[in-house]
Amino acid sequence: MSHLRARAFTLLALTVLTACGGSDSTPKRGAIVDSRDTYDPRSFDPALSTDVPTGRAVGYVFEGLTRFSPDAQVEPALASSWTVSPDGRIWRFTLRQNVKFHDGSAFTAQHVVSSFTRVLDPTTRGGRGWPLFPIAGANDFAAGKATSISGLNVENDSTVVITLTEPFAIFPKLLAMPVASIVPATTGTDFGEKPVGTGPWKMVEWKHDDFVRFVRNDAYWGTKPLQDSLIARIIPEPSTAVAEFEAGNVDILYIPEAETRQWEQTEEKKALLQAAPVLRLWYVAINTTRGPLADVRVRRAINHAIDTKAILTQLLGGRGRLAAGIVPPALDGSDTTRAPYTHDVAKAKQLLRDAGFPNGITVKLWCSQDATQSRVAQAIQGYLKDAGITAELVQRESASMREAARKGEADLVLKDWYADYPDAENFLYPLLHSANAGVGGNVSFFKNPAFDSVVTASRRETDVTKRTALYTRADSMAFAEAPMVFLWFYNELYAVQPWLKNWTAPTIFNGQRMIGARIDHGTP
Amino acid sequence: MTFLARRLLLAIPTLAGVLIAVFLLLYVAPGDPVQQMVGERADSVTIARLRAELKLDESLPVQFVRYAGGVLRGDFGRSYITGRPIMRDIRERFPKTAQLALAAMTIAIVLGIGIGVLAALKPAGAFDKLLMGATYLGISFPVFWVGLLLILLFALTLKWLPPSGYGGGLVLILPALTLGSRSIAYLARVTRSSMLDAMSSDHVRTARAKGLSNAQVVLRHGLRTALIPVVTVLGLDVGSYLTGSILTETVFGWPGLGRYVVNAISRRDLPAIQGTVLFLSVVFVLVNLLTDIAYKRSDPRVS
Repeated sequence: MSHLRARAFTLLALTVLTACGGSDSTPKRGAIVDSRDTYDPRSFDPALSTDVPTGRAVGYVFEGLTRFSPDAQVEPALASSWTVSPDGRIWRFTLRQNVKFHDGSAFTAQHVVSSFTRVLDPTTRGGRGWPLFPIAGANDFAAGKATSISGLNVENDSTVVITLTEPFAIFPKLLAMPVASIVPATTGTDFGEKPVGTGPWKMVEWKHDDFVRFVRNDAYWGTKPLQDSLIARIIPEPSTAVAEFEAGNVDILYIPEAETRQWEQTEEKKALLQAAPVLRLWYVAINTTRGPLADVRVRRAINHAIDTKAILTQLLGGRGRLAAGIVPPALDGSDTTRAPYTHDVAKAKQLLRDAGFPNGITVKLWCSQDATQSRVAQAIQGYLKDAGITAELVQRESASMREAARKGEADLVLKDWYADYPDAENFLYPLLHSANAGVGGNVSFFKNPAFDSVVTASRRETDVTKRTALYTRADSMAFAEAPMVFLWFYNELYAVQPWLKNWTAPTIFNGQRMIGARIDHGTP
Repeated sequence: MTFLARRLLLAIPTLAGVLIAVFLLLYVAPGDPVQQMVGERADSVTIARLRAELKLDESLPVQFVRYAGGVLRGDFGRSYITGRPIMRDIRERFPKTAQLALAAMTIAIVLGIGIGVLAALKPAGAFDKLLMGATYLGISFPVFWVGLLLILLFALTLKWLPPSGYGGGLVLILPALTLGSRSIAYLARVTRSSMLDAMSSDHVRTARAKGLSNAQVVLRHGLRTALIPVVTVLGLDVGSYLTGSILTETVFGWPGLGRYVVNAISRRDLPAIQGTVLFLSVVFVLVNLLTDIAYKRSDPRVS
């Protein structure tokens, strides 16, 4: 937007003027008000959940067989326990009894089958079938080659047996994704507007592009929310959300990157901050099939050319940790002792010479129109130039950028990757396994048989120690092959009102269901 | 009535042209809608099934005929992204945009004409210079910035008004003022110059000679003549109120049609973009028709 400078100025003015004021008293309202959503959820239909605001909203109203805690551990939800056969293919889930949907009907094993079938049914027009594709027969059903999913079987009212096509040890984590939520047997055409789930909150009012209001589900089987209602306001402009927070109208605020320093510099404001090392990687995908980029020395040269530390500090307020691989430090398999690529222009030039490009190369660097992204891209362009790499910036809105990247039409693409579920596999497999080249997420078009076989083995490995070792090995191979510029693992930063107690920023987007959070009205 | 009938007939090819243009533009623009529906990590099976389900694999003429047929029956289809009927979305949001636009216009008329008249009373006086300087700024400031400054002043510093949200009372004031800010400035300048012309005209001199009070001269004889160009400007502005509300709606979190269409564009939600553009075109045509009728009534020479 062309108003960036004006906006930055206003933000500064806002901060200066409000620094002395601040919100003074605890609000009278009984609802927790969240301001993190910048756009309306797509729908409450779990089958349509492909983005964060939607996934978060679905997570309040619905539950899957499993769920995530705020620190991203997988926990039992509608399944009270599960066992897996020694070969890792047959999963037996024991379901919780006496669970009721919001409309009073009882949850049974049959709902698991109907819910998963619904997600994969093309007429649902759902966006993501892949979390359920490991189930035997799911692919055939989704492609219209079968009338039911062979791997889904109801043993009795409280037991469901799921057979996978091949061993997949982290399958329970995929079942905690919004898309695997359990819905009633019949869902009308306006199910997305009038959702009926089993979750701790009921959705009672949705004013599109304005707010969504939830009330506590008093018949919830588990620990009920402490607060009786919850409002998710949809505020598209970050500066406006800041103003609402300053006015005391919202309890949780996402701090825009550009404002990080201003919040950290005021003691009073700093006390309100909460950081979470979310499972999000910033990187520049290097298309390993295009011209000079096919040479690993060129890809390493690009990594050495960029001063990632300076960019992280200057442009993102230091909100992150330099990446030396693609597995976030919060996950098993990450090797925190591995050092990132050093910023070394001489080495970068040498590598380019070794690769046969003494006069440098010319590439196109794609980025979106997001303010922070475009600043980062410009900085990268500058560093590459120092090493003799001419990077032409191609700035497009994210839809066009994503499509070009998926089609392999871009040399370098500045991107970020937000985990769907907390596991190293969610980085290694989609981003770099050859099976996912293009639409699957591997826009580096990295096709390395040795890497592939380690990742495939890790997916099948049932022993956690061995699996973790395989993750580490795959990560180190990826780091050496440099199919991307490893930038940083991002930290999210929130401001939380002093009266909101017991709220912790979640590591994974649907890990905070607002059960224990409450507004402290103080002693009367 | 033949005048009205002719104008109505002329509107049909206009709207048909819009229908074709909107349909084609989106198919030549980059960005596949299905890629948006599937999110960051996708699979080719789902993409293929969605394309088939949405009938995107059919030839353009076939798709167009189906779409146009739906539109004629009053069915704009369902959103690819949310699955909701587009008509319902528009019905929900348009009144909110219209409400904001009306409030902004009211503010612009009252303040703009008021400032213009006051400035014209003593041309080149200190007051005139101050007001005209202010209107210059009003025209030059980006709406976005004006909105944020108003939030800062009235919501955070003075705590008189809520910073954002939707509603009919106090919440409406800041967005309406923001949306109207450009118009206030523009109307003030037009009113001022038009007033200066009128005040130096013969009939005003006659009115003064008759011994009417200053207020009567200014309001009855000066302003009335001066208002004709002002009304024209206002009529031309209606469109920009409806479409220009995008930034204002974003700053204040106002759930109107402007934000709706911007979201639709960024998500490649074809039916939503097509439906909204078509709907707004109909509104434009209607507004133009009303303006024509108003001209016809005020000036018989218009045919």
